[in-house]
Amino acid sequence: MSFNSKYHHSAVQLQEEQVIIEAAKTNPEQFAPLYDKYYKQIFGYLYQRMDCKDTAFDLTAQVFLKALTNINRYEYKGVPFASWLYRIAHSELMQMFRDKKNKRAVNADIGDLRHICEEVEEFYLEEYIPVLKKAIAELDGDDLQLVEMRFFEKRPFKEIGEILNITENNAKVRMYRVLERLKKAIVAK
Amino acid sequence: MQPKFNIDRPKVSDEEINKHKDFDKLVKDFKEQSIQKAKSDKSWWKNKSIQYSAVIAGITVICTVTYFSLFNNQTKKTDDKTITKKEQSIKKPTPSKFINEPFEKIKVNYTSYKVNNSKGAEIVHPTNSKIKIPKNTFVNKNGQEIVGEIEILYREIHDQAEIIASGVPMLYDSAGTKSVFESAGMFEIKGMQNGEPVFIKQDKPLTVELASKQPEDRFNQYYLDTTAKNWTYIKRDNPVALKLPETKHSESNAPLVKLAEKYELAINAIPKRIDSVKVVYTTKINKLEKPTQPAKPNKTAGRPQFELDVDYKEFPELAAFKNAMFEIGNENENFSKDLIKVTWSSADISEGPKKGINYWLTLKLRDRTEKLVVYPVLNGVDFETASKKYEEKFDKYKTLLAKREANEQKLKAEMEAKQAAYLAQQKKLQDEYVREKVRIQQQMTSSINSQIKSGGISAAVSRVFTVLSFGFYNSDIGRPLPNDKTIEPIFVQNGAEKIEPYLIYLVETNRNMVITYSGSSSIKINIQPGLPYTMCIVSGKSVYTVSKEEFTKVANGTGTTFNVTKLGDEITDIYELKKAMGIGQS
Repeated sequence: MSFNSKYHHSAVQLQEEQVIIEAAKTNPEQFAPLYDKYYKQIFGYLYQRMDCKDTAFDLTAQVFLKALTNINRYEYKGVPFASWLYRIAHSELMQMFRDKKNKRAVNADIGDLRHICEEVEEFYLEEYIPVLKKAIAELDGDDLQLVEMRFFEKRPFKEIGEILNITENNAKVRMYRVLERLKKAIVAK
Repeated sequence: MQPKFNIDRPKVSDEEINKHKDFDKLVKDFKEQSIQKAKSDKSWWKNKSIQYSAVIAGITVICTVTYFSLFNNQTKKTDDKTITKKEQSIKKPTPSKFINEPFEKIKVNYTSYKVNNSKGAEIVHPTNSKIKIPKNTFVNKNGQEIVGEIEILYREIHDQAEIIASGVPMLYDSAGTKSVFESAGMFEIKGMQNGEPVFIKQDKPLTVELASKQPEDRFNQYYLDTTAKNWTYIKRDNPVALKLPETKHSESNAPLVKLAEKYELAINAIPKRIDSVKVVYTTKINKLEKPTQPAKPNKTAGRPQFELDVDYKEFPELAAFKNAMFEIGNENENFSKDLIKVTWSSADISEGPKKGINYWLTLKLRDRTEKLVVYPVLNGVDFETASKKYEEKFDKYKTLLAKREANEQKLKAEMEAKQAAYLAQQKKLQDEYVREKVRIQQQMTSSINSQIKSGGISAAVSRVFTVLSFGFYNSDIGRPLPNDKTIEPIFVQNGAEKIEPYLIYLVETNRNMVITYSGSSSIKINIQPGLPYTMCIVSGKSVYTVSKEEFTKVANGTGTTFNVTKLGDEITDIYELKKAMGIGQS
């Protein structure tokens, strides 16, 4: 499993993106390149965490409207613009769940669960699936986010840290602790 | 409620995703939303519930003010008691000010500049930062233009020690997300006239080109809002390359170059002067009259002789040899008596192998040539007369020779004296040059040290700020606060004496970051293991430091006790704090 990401940018790419952001601050029409670039990523992030596709599309539109409305408050922090969009998306998603307009869902492939077994140094067995599903579903919001980002969305730790506003090392430490818990669940089976 | 778990849900195709993309709708929604917002902003006061709320709020304020007026004295007494009690039980000062300079003596000093408001100015700070002040930019509190000089107070904060000493807060709150600033440089600028603050006209901002050692393009500009007690984002910082280093280098070496030009020119000219003295005196010596040694008359030895007619002008030494005969020398191995019998067509005399003593006699007859060494000799009375004359001439010769030798010695002595004077001058210049060079180098080292102290050396870029208000500005970036490991530190001096800190500065040494922890009871610090840290601790009026090595040792182990080193009470120079914390020494 590789953790290549579209998220990461070179210094030049960051600089180019910054020019677009500054232009969008004065003219909303200039926001188009950012919309095109990140639409699929934000939709994917939202749909990953819910069941209803249409709601995911609506929420994506809402995220971008919020981003455009607040773009003047955006501050460059040395990371791609996407991290800011992910935070808006996360906030909108949580609001939606709080308003009980939609139910939280977790979406994974069998391959992803197989990878989790490998990570905790256990052979993959068919019978582990329900155990893992239960253990993952029981994780709290932050830990579930970590598992989703790392194993289901295949993001590198650096990117996870930037999106969650924690250090890369902290993301690793927390992931390690979550995996320990998942391992315990598998071993107890 | 637990989330629903789906396995292998079908993916949404790119085509379907793209179908939902509608940028025009986004812009339309944005514009409609903006119009709605503008309308609601204008009509908010017409809302009945807001009007009622305002009336209720007004009544509440009046009641509150009345209550406090009535019970003011009582409350004041209680407060006084509390303060007295606090002073008695806790001697630790609790930092309450927003900008809290922790040290009594160690400060980041301001540099004062005088600027005539009608003229404006371009100030170059020792760190190579520039402050550009337009004409008539300053006004007083009533908005009237200032007449005359104003005083600009300016200081820069470049590293962790300066961050600590300045007391500038480094915590940043961006919409509830707290982070700590990593700094690429900060400055504070203030303006005063006769002790009164002055203000900047909004259409005539100042420009500060902050020379920064951090060349990376990943920082934002912020202004410290002391009312809101938070930094305010200004814009993305775009550093520009500082053109100074090359110029600065040549400028800083200029005194040495000038000195070398002055002295090396003078020193290098001296050997040439010594040579020319030699040339002049050698010519003078050569021009001294050289007396010709008279030839000593020889008495005939009885060998065959030739009588020759000699031109005495050509051979003056033979003048004494009147009636001289030329006797064949023993060295002529080819001589035979037959040669005397031949009548030669020519006989020429020329200088011989021993100058002034013998001569070559060249005899020719048709194709035949014979060359013989001959000696001038005299016979009888002629010899005696010649001997007398020779004696006279030889005496005269000796006198002349002695005189010449005396003159030659005199000239040589003069020459050597002059050469020695030049050599002495050369040595004097060389010594002077070395002394002056050492002095200038020391001066330069001291200047470099003071630049290092002020953080103004090796600036790589310039960060350009538009200054609309006096205060603190920075070029920083927010970083997540470390939270991987929590330590409740205990500080001891000399292995036993416990130190009670009220301020702990956690310094990340590989980044320009300082995290401040304060409190009157136990303070916990959060770190990210693996990163290099040092600490500065303030307890009462004393300052202590924890070295990088000590920090790593404790952080990597299970203990929480840090050995501290006390900074001397007499220290006033921030450079000493930097040294103690190992800042800028890697």
